Amino acid sequence: MIGRRTALAGMVAMFGTQLFAPIARAAGVFPAGPVPVISQGAPSIQVFTPSQHALMTALSERIIPTTDTPGAIAAGVPAYIEKLLADWAAPDDRKPIVAGLDAIEARSLRDYKLPASRATPEQQDALLTLAMNKEIPHGEDFFEAFRQLVIVGYYTSEIGITQECEYLPVPGEYNGAFPYSQVNKVYSA
Amino acid sequence: MASTDRFDAIVIGSGISGGWAAKELTEKGLRVLMLDRGFMVEHGEGYTYDGKPAYEVPARNIMPKPLEESDYFIAKHGYVAPSNQAFYNNDRLNPYAYDESSKFYWIRPAAVGGKSLIWGRWCFRWSPDDFEANKREGIGGDWPIRYDDLAPWYGYVEKYAGVSGSRENLPYLPDSEFQPPMPMNVAEKWMKQRLETEFPGRKLIHARLSNMTEDKPEQNRTKCQFRNQCRNGCSFGAYFSTQAVTLPAARATGRLTLRSDAVVTGLDYDPGTRRVTGVRFIDAKTGQAEAVSARLVFLCASAMASTQILMNSRAPGSGRSHFDSSGTLGRYVMDHILRVEISGDIPGMEEYIEYGRRPGGVYVPRFRNIGKDDGVGFRRGYGYQGSAHREPAEPVGFGASMKQGMRRYGGWKFSFGAFGECLPYEDNHVSLHPDKVDRFGVPLMRFNVTFRDNELRMMADAREEGEKMLRKAGLQNVKSEEKEHVPGDAIHEMGGARMGTDPRASVLNRWSQAHDAANLFVTDGAQMASISCVNPSLTFMALTARAADHAVRGLREGMI
Repeated sequence: MIGRRTALAGMVAMFGTQLFAPIARAAGVFPAGPVPVISQGAPSIQVFTPSQHALMTALSERIIPTTDTPGAIAAGVPAYIEKLLADWAAPDDRKPIVAGLDAIEARSLRDYKLPASRATPEQQDALLTLAMNKEIPHGEDFFEAFRQLVIVGYYTSEIGITQECEYLPVPGEYNGAFPYSQVNKVYSA
Repeated sequence: MASTDRFDAIVIGSGISGGWAAKELTEKGLRVLMLDRGFMVEHGEGYTYDGKPAYEVPARNIMPKPLEESDYFIAKHGYVAPSNQAFYNNDRLNPYAYDESSKFYWIRPAAVGGKSLIWGRWCFRWSPDDFEANKREGIGGDWPIRYDDLAPWYGYVEKYAGVSGSRENLPYLPDSEFQPPMPMNVAEKWMKQRLETEFPGRKLIHARLSNMTEDKPEQNRTKCQFRNQCRNGCSFGAYFSTQAVTLPAARATGRLTLRSDAVVTGLDYDPGTRRVTGVRFIDAKTGQAEAVSARLVFLCASAMASTQILMNSRAPGSGRSHFDSSGTLGRYVMDHILRVEISGDIPGMEEYIEYGRRPGGVYVPRFRNIGKDDGVGFRRGYGYQGSAHREPAEPVGFGASMKQGMRRYGGWKFSFGAFGECLPYEDNHVSLHPDKVDRFGVPLMRFNVTFRDNELRMMADAREEGEKMLRKAGLQNVKSEEKEHVPGDAIHEMGGARMGTDPRASVLNRWSQAHDAANLFVTDGAQMASISCVNPSLTFMALTARAADHAVRGLREGMI
């Protein structure tokens, strides 16, 4: 490997340039430092308690269940949601999710005497429906935000793109009057 | 051309203009050094996320909010995403200034190739009237050239770059040397028929794009594959970029030296000979300041960056640039005004859908104030860019029924947005900050640019007429929205070193050549004396090729 000193000397010879002293880093109000890389590892903070996590996981599968294609859990949606809320979203975006999970948990304990994550799928659907219909505190804010997280996480996952949708990375041509009868799924890229 | 310099010419910037300058000058026999402040991106291998599905792109290709707010708070207005984040300027590391009352979005690239890697790719010739309106109306300065001066150069760059579009024979939107257009879809054809029937004289035509519909095997370029992922970089070379088109041509001559990470800070000048004597730059990786000289300098750093470099070229202790004997440097800054969008539902035709993802769509050319004053309360005009599509159905409820429902597409929707011409105002200006400098020691750019009555009235009219056109064409649920108009937002910022005949009132002459230095050419958006309402990049290409031809003739004839 060529060291920096050697490379620099080479540049000077090549360009026949004058060398001046390195400039001082500009003083000012702007923080310096390298361009950050998007974090892709484990979440940097714990967004959910273990019981919230279990409920979030169960509800994601109720939003997009396993049918003739895999559902949200198989597609890794819970991990995506946790990572997003920890590192990719604004801190305020966590609030309606966490508050909604707690409200659903409280309602489950009241109605079913069970933690919501251990309720039956039918009971979980009933709880989600209550949230959707604003019959649980913070229900609507939770439902809209959570459903959107599940949808984005699912349809950008490998399962969502290659199994739930018809993956078409290189169409190769354009037809502006393609018969819709020949389309079975939504195309993905 | 005897010289002791290693290079005959220095090209500053490697974007659309700089790439053309390097190609033309090397092909004409000059040894060229091209400097760019960005990092190196090679065609193909440098496109990290080309062809990658969302799950292989960081954060599923959705810009993390904290990163956007800390580092890309301006770039976020210019379509930055994790898949192309590297191509965008980091706004924290490279700041600029504006007063709160005159916000400006200066959206910049960060890689060799400049904005040619991330541009919108719409290509239009300007009309004869675009070069004459300033004079006729007594606004700004008269262009020292006319359409006929540029027409052959348009043809020259179009044939090489590859522009798809349809011949329309419209006097106010001259045709290019086209490859076949990308087809309209069934809903757009219906729109065209309805709109042109209801509004005689108005047209809805194919997009004109630098996305090719025919291969160019001699350039190792393949026609568009209808992926619509242009902004990740296209390994097929299907759209015009420096990497795909002009850089390979310049390299093929064996006379190009490209140096990335070279931040040009200013030009040295000899007032005795009235020549640029050197180009000063800083190696962004090492912080070393260097200087290099050549007989000819092409400044193509982008409209605002070229203006900044010119302004920062001044004698020690002097506040005035070597290139500002006219007092107009930094003035008459313009950008297209946009953020008026109109949309509606097209009834029927649900037996059809699109196959493939077409970049671009359709265009409604300017119809206001053509050949006469329409008495609509503003000068000049606007055009609309849009398209019709069917999107996947909206989610309903949740669970298996929602999932099943989202396997279907909704009906056809049409939307378009207006691009309006901004007049040249002397006091829409940029200057160097008196006491803040960037990490390279260059005074920050300070923007003082606002849209005025003429532009705002134009947008109000565009909104009203847009709604009217969609309603009368028969669309349902027609909606319009008008968002905040911020100069710079169109990423079509121009002016700052305008062309003109009079050296006392302009920075450049009819050849894009500095009045104050015969060996300096500025061929990017800085030179524009007005901005039309159509996209500008094709005109930068033509002006650059024309200037290069003139410069090399001047060198050979001993005039430069």
